[in-house]
Parts: sequence; structure tokens; C-alpha cells
Amino acid sequence: MELKRREKDLTVWQKLYIPEIVKGLALTLRTMFKPKVTMEYPEIKFQPPSSYRGRPVLVQEENGVERCVACGLCSRVCPALAIEVQAAETELEKERYPKKFEINMIRCIFCGFCEEVCPEEAIVMSKDYELVFTNREDAIYGKDKLLVPVEKLKDRLEFLRKFK
Amino acid sequence: MNITEIIVVSLIKIVLVIVMILVAVIFLVYFERRISAWIQYRIGPNRVGWKGILQTTADVMKLLLKEDIVPSASNKTLHTLAPIIALFVAFSTYAVIPFGPDVTIFGYQVKLMVADVNIGVLYVLALTSLGVYGITFAGYSSGSKYSLLGGIRSSAQMISYEVSMGFSVAGVLLLSESLNPQKIVLAQSGWMWNAILQPIGFITFVVSAFAETNRLPFDLPEAEPELVGGYHTEYSSMKFAGFFLAEYANMIIASAMITTLYLGGWQIPYIDKLGLGVTLTTLLQVGAFFLKVIFLLFFFIWVRWSIPRFRYDQLMSLGWKVMFPLSIINIIWVACLIMIFNL
Amino acid sequence: MPKITVDGKEFEFKQGQTIIEAARENGISIPHFCWHPKLSVSGNCRVCLVEVEKMPKLVIACSTYAADGMVVHTQSEKTLTARNAVMEFLLINHPLDCPICDEAGECKLQDYAYKHGKGESRFEEIKMRKEKRVSLGPRIIFDAERCISCSRCIRFSDEIAKQKQLTFVNRGDRVTITTFEEEGFDNPYTLNTIDICPVGALTSKDFRFKSRVWEMSSTKSVCIGCARGCNTEIWVRNNQILRLTPRRNEAVNSYWMCDHGRLDTFKFVNAEDRVDGSFIRREGKLEKADWETALKEAAKRIKEFKNSEIAVIGSAFATLEDNYLLTKIAKSIGTANIDFVRHVIPGDQDDILIKEDKTPNSLGAELAGVKPGKNGLNISGILDGIKAGKIKALLVMDDDITTFAPDTEEILTKLDLLIVLAVNFNKTAVMADILFPAASFAEKHGTFVNFSGRVQRIRPAVATTGLDRALDGMTMSRWDKFGSQFDRWMQGHKYDSKPSWKILAQLGIQLGIKIKYQMAEEVFDDLAASADAFKGLDYDVIGDLGAEIKIKVKEPTLA
Ligand code: SF4
Ligand code: SF4
Ligand code: SF4
Ligand code: SF4
Repeated sequence: MELKRREKDLTVWQKLYIPEIVKGLALTLRTMFKPKVTMEYPEIKFQPPSSYRGRPVLVQEENGVERCVACGLCSRVCPALAIEVQAAETELEKERYPKKFEINMIRCIFCGFCEEVCPEEAIVMSKDYELVFTNREDAIYGKDKLLVPVEKLKDRLEFLRKFK
Repeated sequence: MNITEIIVVSLIKIVLVIVMILVAVIFLVYFERRISAWIQYRIGPNRVGWKGILQTTADVMKLLLKEDIVPSASNKTLHTLAPIIALFVAFSTYAVIPFGPDVTIFGYQVKLMVADVNIGVLYVLALTSLGVYGITFAGYSSGSKYSLLGGIRSSAQMISYEVSMGFSVAGVLLLSESLNPQKIVLAQSGWMWNAILQPIGFITFVVSAFAETNRLPFDLPEAEPELVGGYHTEYSSMKFAGFFLAEYANMIIASAMITTLYLGGWQIPYIDKLGLGVTLTTLLQVGAFFLKVIFLLFFFIWVRWSIPRFRYDQLMSLGWKVMFPLSIINIIWVACLIMIFNL
Repeated sequence: MPKITVDGKEFEFKQGQTIIEAARENGISIPHFCWHPKLSVSGNCRVCLVEVEKMPKLVIACSTYAADGMVVHTQSEKTLTARNAVMEFLLINHPLDCPICDEAGECKLQDYAYKHGKGESRFEEIKMRKEKRVSLGPRIIFDAERCISCSRCIRFSDEIAKQKQLTFVNRGDRVTITTFEEEGFDNPYTLNTIDICPVGALTSKDFRFKSRVWEMSSTKSVCIGCARGCNTEIWVRNNQILRLTPRRNEAVNSYWMCDHGRLDTFKFVNAEDRVDGSFIRREGKLEKADWETALKEAAKRIKEFKNSEIAVIGSAFATLEDNYLLTKIAKSIGTANIDFVRHVIPGDQDDILIKEDKTPNSLGAELAGVKPGKNGLNISGILDGIKAGKIKALLVMDDDITTFAPDTEEILTKLDLLIVLAVNFNKTAVMADILFPAASFAEKHGTFVNFSGRVQRIRPAVATTGLDRALDGMTMSRWDKFGSQFDRWMQGHKYDSKPSWKILAQLGIQLGIKIKYQMAEEVFDDLAASADAFKGLDYDVIGDLGAEIKIKVKEPTLA
């Protein structure tokens, strides 16, 4: 039977091992003097690109009203059941608005499904990744924390127009 | 010197050595973390103190404040004894390492080592073998499968590599005709370093030293992916710190031993030809010793972050099928040298 | 019998059936908006177009009579193209309102657009704008843009509610629904139009925007508004009832229920004045007490009276099981003074659904044995007895007896002991010496007997402290299934109440009777074994649609 050389078989030189180790050591030695990639948070903060999925926020129009019409689709699609919406009637043309809109940031997995499903472009993923809370209650973000003026979300909204 | 003086001088030397080791370990750990970071394009600890120099101190403080957890299924006595053994062995080995030539201080002839033992090399070998007890006890007493496996691996590994280590040292002994570390150092005057005369022995000894100190690529007793934490899985607080300290202290001994046995110890080739004063020469020589040790320590760290861990079967076959024959070849080689050059 | 072939499947049909009816009976559903099995055919939505062999053009299945040997294709290419086209036309002026539309999730237009539509629109012009918030009578808001002019609502008022109140006005794309001048859409059945409206053009003022339909769980139940006992679904979110809808039962209510039943029979369940935990009167004030203490106290106090000094009053609002347990208690105490209060509004009935008797179970209460025994007093006798000081202790279950006569409230003050099982703090409950929290109809298993003698089941839709949605087999919404104790939507209040039969059973044990029922079903089985009317019945036989009792009934004696 003919024995076939496998890709994995090593040459004698490689089998000696020592030269290969020396090569490896040389490599690591070189990297020691290369520039570092670490960002020294909190002095230097990572500026995410507009494709970044930070915490989901509600878009607040210039007139101070949220875009959301409390359709509850985000709440339905959310795989983590993080969103709770309670609708109510408003005199405005949109008829419906969220009387209560809460995202449980402990549940949220930043998948962006809510943003994708929203028919009003009312919920978008922001660049905000600094989420700190010390108890479960604080982790439930209400409208006060979720509403963000539309100017601050321009990047993301443009990104969505382009790619969604 | 009378007996009191000997005791006083020895005590001073012991205290000095212990303090030195402790300080050295603190810096060693710090540098290990920094160097590993550099190798991985990171920065490493740089917050506590100047450039993060106090990081290890902070870690020690943290460990001190942690709860000491003893598993209920453990053998309490052995569980406590294990880190003590490990530490004791690590520290006592230093007794026979010479840092420099004999010096005269305040009219006393002082040897730059704690104890000038005739059979220093044997003493070191014997003590490092004892060190395995610490680990094995830890594994056995924890009442955890991971710890036990770590302990078992450790003993098997120690025994396997002590063989090749012993045979490598035999080469050195043949050349220097002594078991006294200081004599071995003196025998390597000039460029007659054992590393140059018997490179194979040097390599086998270094590899065995890595295995004996449980450093990567041979850190199987504490291989995280397989054994959680290995023999110290069930240790916390200062007992864990004890093992940690012992591991780094062992690294320092290993480096010192390699320096002593193969790299000419405190010798600087042909320094006496320069005609410097005695004090300066001695200082330079002591400095040379530490430089060599520091380089070796760097080498230890460097290797750790370059070479991946061996598999257990690879480790064993390397020990028995490669290192062991090589060290025997080395003895033959040295014997030939002696025969031919009549050294 | 004549035969018809639909989509290659041949089956028989009754002469006079339309294609859509024949197909439906044989499990082939042809899409339809305007056709409804209980309404006349109007044939104006055109979505039921099908291809019939040997006919030159497509025909609408809802108004074409099936004929012997007819071969119909509902999935042929021609049919599908036509259906697509109809959907496109319907959607031309339909607003993109789904996100704010209450119908979304149970909308026929959504479903068909998804199933039969193209998925895109070629219409680039501006959509027709119409009024969006028209108040159409006291209970309904009409959105003219969403209306697809199927005329179901108009036909319903004309044919089922029998009041011509709605009509189309204008033509073409301006067509819209309106009421006649100076008249509201206010017949007692208006809210049924919301159910049959295939879109969200008609919305309930009461339920508007309360919840999306997919967030609620629905539980099969029975309306307690009158003796008809319309079959209903109870829709619950966060342990709160948000709406009732009728459930089809041809033997009782067909597809319908009245507005009173739909709006006024559930709000008390989550009302502020629910009795939450048991109470004992101490120094003139009702104070909270734990179950054990209250039960012990009740038993102890009852024993202080002579048999003839005690009377018990059952309820036509309570289930058969509750009333049956009450008769057991009465028997063990040894009193024959047992009766219940009728709630009848004479003349308030029609020949559609509504009945004079405003309780769901008066026949059941009688059949369970809640009527004066030998030499026993009936309700007015009991009240007279109290007045005369002959009756000193009274046990009232699940009813506000102060409605019986204007002076009842005053009479009750003469009592030495009044034990009440009540859902809410009604006028009787606030006078109680010992008050037990009874579970409402939406929180327990049980059975009612309607005016015609049909036994029907109710099931728990709202959880009380003793109930766990998952463990006790209650219906669950997605949120109930996946929520944890840390989610706000799981924090809906659970009242500390128990079904009356359970309270009575525990009281019975304190009184020294051997009772060991664990479930309402066991109580019913016991009743079925002892009363002829329920022979052979059990919860499975009754099922979702109910079962007739086994004896002939005349209309119950309406005192
Ligand atoms: S990002 Fe994903 S997980 Fe987070 S709220 Fe939106 S849908 Fe839910
Ligand atoms: S999907 Fe958009 S509009 Fe609908 S409730 Fe969520 S945020 Fe509001
Ligand atoms: S009626 Fe149906 S299709 Fe029209 S807006 Fe409402 S849910 Fe959407
Ligand atoms: S309101 Fe509804 S039921 Fe009435 S015609 Fe319009 S779509 Fe049909």
C-alpha cells in the first residue's frame, strides 16, 4: 500500500522544533514593540460608527412629541420581551401615543429588531453604550430616559434610510 | 568567626534573601502582566501607582481581604499544609545560590550566599522534588476532581522531568568535579560556560526547568480549559496567594540555577584583566548575576506568551522519548570532551 | 342529493345553498369580506370571485347558487389574479393605519392582503381623505378612511338588531357610513358591528387603544348580564379584564351579545372596591383578619344561635357549585330558611337575546336546592323574621340583597350576626360582621344554568392569590408565559379571594361537616349524582358549548 504524504506531515526541520520555537519567539518579541490597540476608557471614549447598536431610544420630534404611536410591534417582536407599551388616545393627528413606554435594559439583548420592525422609525439604536444601574428597578427605562431629540440621532436615521 | 557571629550573619542573610524574593516576586508579577499585554498589543495594568507598579500590591491587599474558603469535603490539615510546603520549599532553596564571590565586610569574610553547602546542587534537586508534595497535597486534600487531576498530573510531570534534569546536571558535575554551587561557578571562568560547552545539556535543563516550575508550555497541573484551576481550584484568599507566590519564587530559583549551572553564575568573562578595584569588580559581578537572572525571567515570560500548552501525552512522550535520551547523549558528549581535551 | 366539485373535491350539498356555503361546510374557505353566515347576501366586496367551468366570467361565490354537476375552482390562476386585483382596489384608498388601528392582529383585510395580495402598491396618487374620528352613537367611533364599504354593519342593524340606524351616503370613493339625521347608532346590540366589521373602521370607545389583541389571553366563559347566558371570551392582560367578546353558540346566542353584557359585567372584577382578604367587625369597624381566624370566628358565632334563628341566602349570580354547597351548609346547621333574591326588570327584554331576569343562574340556584325547605321561610319571610326578631343570624352569599326592597338595609341592622361572602364592598357587604372575599365569575370554575335549562361552564380568566396561571391550566398570553416576577407586566394585582364553594366548604369543616372537595368539578359530580336535572352530566360533557339539563323546565318562577 502506498502511503500518501499528508498536508500535516512535518519536515525534518520542523520536527526539530527548536527553530520553530525561535521563529515564534521572534514574532512575539516584534509585537512587543508595535503600537498598542487598547483604548484607555474612560479618558478616551469609543466613538461608535452609525452601524453600532447601542441602547434603543425613542425619537423625539422637534416639537417635543415622540414619534411612536404605541403600535406595540416592537414589543411583540422583541425576542427578550424587554419592551412594554401602553397606548392611549391623543388629540394629535397620530391619534395614539404611548402613555407608558418601558424598556427593561436587563432584558434587552441589543438585537435591533425593535428598530427594524418599527413602522414609524420611532425607535432606533443609539450610540450609547454606557448603561449603569445598581438595581432592577433602575434598569427599567421609562419615557424620560428613552426620549432623545431627533437631531442627536441623525447619523443613525440616515444610516437606516441607506441600508434598511 | 565565632558561633554567634555566624548565626547573626546568617540571620541577616536569610532576612535579606527573603525580602529580596518577596520584592522580586511583586515586580515579577507586574512585569509578567505588562509583558503579556505588550505581546498582545495591549497596554496592561497602568492605573495603580506610577505606570501601574503597585498593581500587585493592590492584588495582594485584595487577596488578604478575601474570605478563606475551605471546602467541606476537604482534608483540612493537608489543605492548610499544602501551600505552606510549597512556600517553604520555594524559599529554602535560595539558601545555596551564590550571588557573587566572597567579600569582606567590616573585616569579616562573608560568602554571598546563605549557606555554602558542599552538596548544594543535590540540595536544590532534593528540595524541588519535595515541592511536588505541596501540589499533590493540595490536589488530594481539596476533595475536588479537578484538583486531584491537577495534583496527579503534577507529580507525574515532576518525576518524568526530574530524570532528564538530573542527567543534565550530571554533565555539569562531570566538568566542575563538585556539587558545590560556588565551585561550579568558579569552574566556568572565562568563556568556559557550561551553556557553550554542552548546549544539549543546557537545552534539556532549561526545558526541564520549565516543566518543574509548571510554567507554560508545561502548566498542565493548572490547565484552565480542562481543570478549571487545577490543583488550586479550591483555594482562595492568602492560601491561594501562597501558591501564587511559590510559583513565581520557583521561577526565580530556576533562573538562578540555570545561571549558576550554565551561564557562569556571577562571572563576567575576563573582568579581572581590566584591572578594576576589588569592590567594583565584586559589585559588577553581583550585578551580572542579577542581570542574567532577570534575562532568564524575561525568557520565562516570553516563552509563556509565545508557545501554546502541550497535551498531556505530548508532555510525557517529550519527557521520556526526547529529553531523557538527549540528556544521556549530553553526558556522553561531556565524557568525550573530558577525554579528548583532558579538561 | 346534488353534487358539486370544488377544487377537485366532490361533495353533496343542499338545494338552495350558495357556493360559498357549500364549500365552507366541506372545509374549503373562500375569502370574503361582506358575506356573513347570519346576514343577507350583498355581494359588493367581490373578493369571493371564483371560476366556474362553463361560465364565461368569474362569479361571486356568495350569491351564486350551487348547482348539480357544477365544477368550481378557487385556486385557479384566473381566480387568483382576480382576487389580487380586488385586493389592490380595496387597498387603494385604505390608509396605512395598522400601527394605530385596534383591529390589527384580527383584521380580515390584513390577513387577506398578506395571503392574497401582491405585497406592493402601484397607486401613486394621493389617497382619499375622510373623517377619522366620527362618534357613531354612544359606544362606537367610526373611521371613515378604513371602511371598505362591505355594508355588514348596515345589514346587521337592519336584520339582526332590527333597527334601521345606519346607511351609506355619497358614491364612488367618497362613500361613507352615517346614521340618520338626529339619530344615534344606539340600539342594544351595536358593539357586534365591531366584531363583524372586517376592518378597524368601527372601534369600541370602551376598549379603544387599551391593548393590542395579541397581548391578551382569552378564556371561554359565559356572560352574567342576564338569564340568556351568552357565550363569551374574556380577554385578559396583566391579570386585568380588558374586554368581552361573544363566542359562537347556535343554541344560545349565535355570534352575538348585547352591549350591556359586553360593557357592564366585568368592570367590577378589577374595581377599587373589591373585597381583598377576609374581615371581622371589631368595635363597629371591619378589620382585616386571616382566613383561619375569620372561619373559626364564623363557625363559633353560628353555633351560638338556634337552628330556627338562622337563615341563609344563596345567589343567582353564584354558580351551581356555590349554591349546592350553601344548601349543604343550611342542612348541617339544620335550618330550612333558605332562598335567594331574584333580579328581574319586568319588561326589559326582547326577542333577540335580552331577558328580564338579570342573573345568569336563577334556574340553577333553584335546581341546586336553594329554596325554602319544609316550614322554611322564603326571602320575604326571612326579612320579616328579622324584623320580628325571630331570625337573628344571616348568611348571604354573592349577592347584594338590599336591592330586594327599599327597607331591607334597615332591617338588616337588626341582625345579631351577618356573615357575607362578597366580591365587592356592596351595601350588604359593608354591614357584615364577618366578611369573606368571594371570587368573581372570572376567577373560578363553575356552571350556570340559563333560562332555557342549558348548563354552561365558566373558567378562571383572572388569577387570584390561590391560582397560578401556568400550574392551574389557565389560558396564558405570551407575556404570561415568559414573564418573570421582576417584569412589571407580571405585577397585576391578585386578589386574596376564593370561590364561594371553597369558602363554604372550609366553613363547613369548621362546623363539623365532612367535606373534602378539591375542585369545582367534584362538587358538580356530587350534585349530578344527587339531582335528577344533572344526571349524566360532567364538565367534559358540558364542554365549551354547554348541555341541556335532563328535566323539562318551565320558565323559572319569577317572584
Ligand atoms: S434591541 Fe432587541 S432586545 Fe433590545 S429592546 Fe429592541 S428588540 Fe428588544
Ligand atoms: S414599533 Fe415603533 S411606533 Fe410601534 S410601539 Fe414600537 S416604537 Fe412605537
Ligand atoms: S383595518 Fe386592518 S388593514 Fe386597515 S388599518 Fe386597520 S388593521 Fe390595518
Ligand atoms: S364600517 Fe365596517 S362593517 Fe361597516 S361597511 Fe365599513 S367595513 Fe363594512
